[in-house]
Amino acid sequence: MDLNSRRRKLFSILTYGLTSLIGLFAFLYPFLWPAMVAQDGMAHSADAPLTLTVLVALCFIALLIEVQGDEVSTKFIALLGILVAINSVLRFVEIAIPIPGGFSPLFFLIILTGYVYGSRFGFLMGTLTLLVSAFITGGIGPWMPYQMFTAGWVGLLAPLCRPLVKIVGGEDSRFEVSVLAFVGAVWGLLYGVIMNVWFWPFATGPADQYWELGITIRETLRRYALFYSVTSLTWDISRAFGNAALLFLFGAPTLRVLRRFKRRFAFTHDSTAIETSGILEPGLHRCIR
Amino acid sequence: MHPVTWVIWLAAVVIAISITHNPLYLVVLVLLGALLSQGVQSQEKALQVPISPLRFTLFLVPVTAVFNTITSNWGTTILLPEIQAPWFPALSYGPLTVEALVYGAINGLVLSALFTVFTVFNVAVPVRDLIRFIPRAFYPVAVVVSIALTFAPVTLRQLRQIREAQAVRGHRMRGIRDWLPLFIPLLTGGLERAFQLAESMTARGFSASSGPRQTLYTRLGLTTGLVALLVGLLLDKVWNITLWGRLGMALGAGLILTTVWSLGKYATYTVYRQHHWSFKDSLVLSGILFALGTLWILEPEIRAYTPYPTVTLPAFNPLVGSALLGFLSPLLVYIKKNKTFDVKT
Repeated sequence: MDLNSRRRKLFSILTYGLTSLIGLFAFLYPFLWPAMVAQDGMAHSADAPLTLTVLVALCFIALLIEVQGDEVSTKFIALLGILVAINSVLRFVEIAIPIPGGFSPLFFLIILTGYVYGSRFGFLMGTLTLLVSAFITGGIGPWMPYQMFTAGWVGLLAPLCRPLVKIVGGEDSRFEVSVLAFVGAVWGLLYGVIMNVWFWPFATGPADQYWELGITIRETLRRYALFYSVTSLTWDISRAFGNAALLFLFGAPTLRVLRRFKRRFAFTHDSTAIETSGILEPGLHRCIR
Repeated sequence: MHPVTWVIWLAAVVIAISITHNPLYLVVLVLLGALLSQGVQSQEKALQVPISPLRFTLFLVPVTAVFNTITSNWGTTILLPEIQAPWFPALSYGPLTVEALVYGAINGLVLSALFTVFTVFNVAVPVRDLIRFIPRAFYPVAVVVSIALTFAPVTLRQLRQIREAQAVRGHRMRGIRDWLPLFIPLLTGGLERAFQLAESMTARGFSASSGPRQTLYTRLGLTTGLVALLVGLLLDKVWNITLWGRLGMALGAGLILTTVWSLGKYATYTVYRQHHWSFKDSLVLSGILFALGTLWILEPEIRAYTPYPTVTLPAFNPLVGSALLGFLSPLLVYIKKNKTFDVKT
């Protein structure tokens, strides 16, 4: 049974909403329900990482089915494939040139393509860049699904810059790149925060930096802030600074190129036009469509 | 060797690493992984790892040990007493303990063992086999990954050509701004290539091929699966109704995976290099299961070593240590294939 556009939209909203709810719960539940976790005891915390990893993986699968859609457009696939290849090559730059801290040129193109080509493109760009670059550089590991999911979020949420850009003067204004650079800097820090959250509640170490059963939300946040500032902040600041610098310096010319090609890719193949024009014999149009 | 055998090997060693904190067993696992990595690299025209697992271990273990000693002050065996410098807080630190040092070193060993086994997996399994693991339901995603992997070397070559062309024109790399004349031609060239690729794919009838098509039933399956997952999660974690919660989550997972399977039925594809399960794979599999089973069953208290509250020497059962050699069983296939293998020193 095929779907009409209204039903399709409803299911899309439901899928996005449910995956976001489960994902947020999986990442944040030690912060939200400290007392509840305290009741559960150590037996719970032992299997929690595995359960939550499986849940995040299932949400990721559902979101990927939704984002992928069922319209297999050659333009979409070719454009995405080539841009992922370019972005994966940029990761070689990260490996070849010893840049201090967590600076990575990966996010530059993920943010810009998400902003120009939309959430669906941005999500796939983030996810697949991490996957392909892991294949190329031999970086497959247990960290990869989380990196893919988080980088996907970076691209998925990039179009949220559009209202901000409208407020400061619209497309091609002086401040457009500044807004994107600011968002890039914020994501530089957020990426580290999210990547730490999935394992932090289950890790052990100094009492004032790690999560414990029964502590209050305020104490949880204080400990996480301390843990983050000791272990990750310096690293993530260099990523945030790098994102902002790249977007500020290269953002405007890259946006011009991406927009030019967006217009060029706006053509459609109409098989019926070929059939009615009489260029081809009837029936052959099916091979071209 | 069949790629599925490698996936089982990877899963088994990761489980082995996660169920033991005994540093002696962890050292054995790191050494076995490093040996296997050398063996696989010497036989295959495979990816060369950027850093050898042993070098990584030798770097990481002291770093994590020192870091944990400085940041954690638990334990009873004092290395250095507490120092208080109220006039300069950065110089103040609590007592440095042997227990914290050992605990940090064990964490470093766990990370090194994980790095080692994933290095072996990366080297042993070709990228084309990894792409084949992408489920059929994600057929467009698999095509994108294939395109990206095919064009990555071309893009790298193009970057080199642009760099040479710009150098001939007098361009010098002095700062971050000097990357712009390299990046924009690379991006424009890549997008032109995407344009040509899209046209040639359409001309070859790519759009006409049947991909995974979503119907009302697949959409319902996906949405109901997500609702079941959420309800199961809430029952298990919020209301503490564990049995029903886990059943709900299992139902949700089943519905989502069934949807993936049913979407995959619509995707047609051709396999050019078929892998067949052989006797060697069964042999390797039995070695892996023997190693994991022995570690799992025998003496769980030896596996679960902790240096706290007072550090003790970790116990070592030679029987379990010998059984871990089962994880080396993939090496037998390589030795049999080429009689010997070279170990790089």
